[in-house]
Amino acid sequence: MKLIKRDPAAIKTQASGLNRRTFLKGSGIAAGGAAFMSLLPTAMINKADAAQRRQHSYDEGEITKKRSVCTHCSVGCGVVAEVQNGVWIGQEPSFDHPFNLGSHCAKGASVREHGHGDKRLKYPMKKVAGEWQRISWDQAIDEIGDQMLAIRESAGPDSVYWLGSAKFNNEQAYLFRKFAAFWGSNNVDHQARICHSTTVAGVANTWGFGAMTNSYNDIHNSKCIFIIGANPAEAHPVSLQHILRGKERGAKVIVVDPRFSRTAAHADQFIRIRPGADIPFVWGMIWHMFQNGWEDEQFINQRVYGMDEIRAEVAKWTPDEVERVAGIKEADVFQAAKTMYEHKPGTVVWCMGITQHTVGNSNTRALCILQLVLGNMGVSGGGTNIFRGHDNVQGATDFGVVSNSLPGYYGLSQDAWEHWARVWDVDYNWIASQFDQTSYEELNGSPVSPMFTNGITVSRWIDGVLEDPENITQKDILRAMVLWGHAPNSQTRGPEMKAAMEKLDLLVIVDPFPTVSAVMNDRQDNVYLLPAATQFETYGSLTSSNRSVQWREQVIAPLFESLPDHNIIYRFAQKFGFADELCKHIAVNDGEPLIEDITREYNRGMWACGYTGQTPERLKLQLANLHTFNTTTLKAEGGPCDGEFYGLPWPCWGTAEMKHPGTHILYDTSIPVAEGGSPFRARFGVERDGQNLLAEGSWTAGSEIEDGYPEFTSDMLKELGWWNDLTAEEKAEAEGKNWKTDLSGGIQRVAIKHGCAPYGNAKARAIVWQFPDPVPIHREPLYTPRRDLVAEYPTYEDRRNFYRLPTRYSSIQAQDFSEEFPLIMTSGRLVEYEGGGEETRSNPWLAELQQDMFIEINPADANNARIRHGRQVWVEGPEGGAVKVMAFVTPRVERGVVFMPFHFGGHYQGEDLKDKYPEGTAPYVRGESCNVVFTYGYDSVTAMQETKVSLCRVRPA
Amino acid sequence: MARMKFLCDAERCIECNACVTACKNEHEVPWGINRRRVVTIDDGIPGEKSISVACMHCTDAPCQAVCPVDCFYTTDDGVVLHDKDICIGCGYCFYACPFGAPQYPQEGAFGARGKMDKCTFCAGGPESDNSQAELDKYGRNRLAEGKLPLCAEMCSTKALLAGDGDIVADLFRNRVVRRGGRPDTWGWNTAYKD
Amino acid sequence: MKKIISIVFATFILSACYEDTRVTLHEPGVYKGKRDTQTMPAEEREALLKLRFNEVQTDR
Repeated sequence: MKLIKRDPAAIKTQASGLNRRTFLKGSGIAAGGAAFMSLLPTAMINKADAAQRRQHSYDEGEITKKRSVCTHCSVGCGVVAEVQNGVWIGQEPSFDHPFNLGSHCAKGASVREHGHGDKRLKYPMKKVAGEWQRISWDQAIDEIGDQMLAIRESAGPDSVYWLGSAKFNNEQAYLFRKFAAFWGSNNVDHQARICHSTTVAGVANTWGFGAMTNSYNDIHNSKCIFIIGANPAEAHPVSLQHILRGKERGAKVIVVDPRFSRTAAHADQFIRIRPGADIPFVWGMIWHMFQNGWEDEQFINQRVYGMDEIRAEVAKWTPDEVERVAGIKEADVFQAAKTMYEHKPGTVVWCMGITQHTVGNSNTRALCILQLVLGNMGVSGGGTNIFRGHDNVQGATDFGVVSNSLPGYYGLSQDAWEHWARVWDVDYNWIASQFDQTSYEELNGSPVSPMFTNGITVSRWIDGVLEDPENITQKDILRAMVLWGHAPNSQTRGPEMKAAMEKLDLLVIVDPFPTVSAVMNDRQDNVYLLPAATQFETYGSLTSSNRSVQWREQVIAPLFESLPDHNIIYRFAQKFGFADELCKHIAVNDGEPLIEDITREYNRGMWACGYTGQTPERLKLQLANLHTFNTTTLKAEGGPCDGEFYGLPWPCWGTAEMKHPGTHILYDTSIPVAEGGSPFRARFGVERDGQNLLAEGSWTAGSEIEDGYPEFTSDMLKELGWWNDLTAEEKAEAEGKNWKTDLSGGIQRVAIKHGCAPYGNAKARAIVWQFPDPVPIHREPLYTPRRDLVAEYPTYEDRRNFYRLPTRYSSIQAQDFSEEFPLIMTSGRLVEYEGGGEETRSNPWLAELQQDMFIEINPADANNARIRHGRQVWVEGPEGGAVKVMAFVTPRVERGVVFMPFHFGGHYQGEDLKDKYPEGTAPYVRGESCNVVFTYGYDSVTAMQETKVSLCRVRPA
Repeated sequence: MARMKFLCDAERCIECNACVTACKNEHEVPWGINRRRVVTIDDGIPGEKSISVACMHCTDAPCQAVCPVDCFYTTDDGVVLHDKDICIGCGYCFYACPFGAPQYPQEGAFGARGKMDKCTFCAGGPESDNSQAELDKYGRNRLAEGKLPLCAEMCSTKALLAGDGDIVADLFRNRVVRRGGRPDTWGWNTAYKD
Repeated sequence: MKKIISIVFATFILSACYEDTRVTLHEPGVYKGKRDTQTMPAEEREALLKLRFNEVQTDR
């Protein structure tokens, strides 16, 4: 390539004046004055910044390549960024990357816009008398901190809600959870609550870990791909590369969905289901399997507990009953069951269509049971491939940014707190003293401190503000809300959220963009906007859906005055006076806690889900050798990472010195634990009602115990006579500990040396006896149009205290809304946008492709309501929310069902909120949020919100 | 001699629009101008198929035949390009093109005075390779850097293929054989009955 | 001779059945724009692009 020198004068002005900041300033000015109403101004913006970019790109300065990972969905596509003079000038495909092989979807192919997007929140701001004012970081932290400390004084630490983010990297997520613990509250949560919390709960309680069991790449080996309640063609487009490769190798694709989605367009069989009738359908399939003897007897006998009770429930779901409840004909159900039986191994893929229901946890368990019946678990090409949502929602979940656990799924028990206090090297009593010292709940008759009780969930934070303080199981209502990397428009009950935001004493938004939180309320004062940097402006690790941990390099310096999340956490910790405790073993340079030190710290504590072997060094080595990984097996073939799986998918056991390769496929007993094999986890005891919960006649290859066994403890090592395999130092640490709490890693090392899994070898359980529905049973949605089924399949009773709040079920279902609101309303994703969409709607390359919020409605329903394609309509819900959107008349949805995407925001009940954004930050595309109309309803185990079934009516606007 | 061609495998295209934004990203194409777009037929019903369409770089290019000022030329490797300095933006090529490829920006880097803009197969135009002038008028020249069009290189499912027609065909044939069926490209149904 | 004439005749008749396969009504004119100078020889470019294709567009 020949570089052409341009006019020397031009180069001179470049070199003297144009650094990254002036570059951005330049484009900001170009855009600032332009009202975005016609095509003209954007063209000008593009001209202005493109002209400047080009001069950079071809004049001077070395072009360096940085490797990062796309910040949108959980596939974890590699990004190659070309950077010159600190400016992100080009994006090249990452061909070496084993997940995406260079591919991207619309979002991934446009991430470079991050590097010069001018819709960003540029500096800290504060709303005073209805006007946005620019303030300094110091002032912001001071003022917010003072108010929070005052609230803490008067209402207790639980009155401040720390809502974290799946957009954090692992280190930030871990630090954030630790920070909340030091603040003294469990009122901390993130997006996982409203995306896959029911999966995590349901799946972990079935066989041990609540995560995708195989990988996107492993779908190449599937013979049948069963996709239910998921639309990966739009939500995880690059996963379709793997799904279609599987299909081209002969796999049958079955898609079950209320809509004929873009994924369904590639299916061999499409089954249309009534929203909320998943369990009847799955039981209907299993009914045919039991009927025809298609179950895997040997697998069930060796590795599954409780299948008899499932048989009893499934027997009720005769083809007629399935058709009556789910609306699916016997032939279709039979065909799907037969295909899955004849094409093994088959994999099951699900997403929000399964999880976001009042019965979400039961839905996920029913699908696990389907795979257990077929014996599809622990095999390549099989498994439950649960596609997570955000790029690091898996990691943020693993690191416990949730109101019901500490990092690593240790829970909130005293043991858990003691374990982490040891890892953090801080006094347990000091942490305890940070919490509210009064008890509001009882456990087995004795009071428990709020330290040990589940906090309020993100799905319900609005109730934490609006509920009568008498009914809340903590000292007071929420008075301060911190939305840190979280879109409010992804949560239901919009009008109530608006009221909650207005009732708060203090509202703090930490985000690269102002987000809908900044504009959806009518607050005049005390709203703070703090600009956070994106993940391209910092570095660290993230965990993709398949549990692979990847390392990102920093592409560009934080834009404008934004700061990386961990810097902001540290600043707050300084303000609250526990910065030294927070970073006791983490170096802090110029206000920035050292990412690698944070990784090393969690490596010392995350034994329970195997985050101990993924050191920064190993992850960086993999990043430098991406091309050595096989794109189907994810295993490195030769090179310095030979034998390792890509991303050292957790569990990656023991210390890094053990060189565990990570676990590509969970519960695969055909290979030794040391090479990534594992049995089902012994998590639920060893015996119940006289029945053995441990595996029988099944063990991982090379195991010295050739049968089931419980989880490893120091005592167990002694009984087995393996205690002396520990070194003297390991013995000192391991005494009285178990595989999760032994910080030396010795117990794990010795167990694996003898071919055993540290967590035991048990059966998966088909019944979860601690859950409201031990056997998954069908319950009609709260807002059901099928009143005829309510008596037979009622929802739960109302509950007094559920994650600190009263929770309604039957009292809502008792009311009949189906006459006035005859249409079933469901929601989902579009390929161009992600989450609440603020970031993607601010990206002109994406925004141009989807300029209008819309509702999909069947031609028959449209004609009945006198609605024309492309015209505006009002969508009204039973709780009073209404949105004005464009009608998209299409047979994609069937009669009686309407669909809306959830990425839009910036309009509220017919009004454009553009003027409420700080100047120059309103996204290019704004629209109504469908969640203004979506209604009450929460999962009975995790308080997941119900967004997939509600009722509405539609009329012309 | 190589002859550059696009091929969109309709069995793999999922209408994700990566090709569209990759093009925007690489060439900074302004809002409202789409050198490439994804077309979906039978949207929302069984049989739904999508393909990504841009300039097809015809061997006997109609745009070239009708251009009143003869601003079109074909490169050695079969890429149809045009000289924006002599293009008068009349729109006759728009009439002639079977694919609706020519675009007419009102403003901005590509479209001063309404000159025609279209997909360049990431091969720039009649200016020195990767010069400022080429970049301003035509966008990046990836071919000169030994790279292929970014839309195809970034395609989410590797549905969109770009390169020498012969090797594109080889790759596609392999896929068809693996699938064990007849080609299911979009044009097949146009050419033959079931 | 008669035979030859008949062959010539037959050839003449049959040649009337020949259909012109060229469908173009209007041939492109001569390009009047600037010459596109390419820094890389066409063969080199072809080889390079072929290498790239097999690296990037295959499923690996």
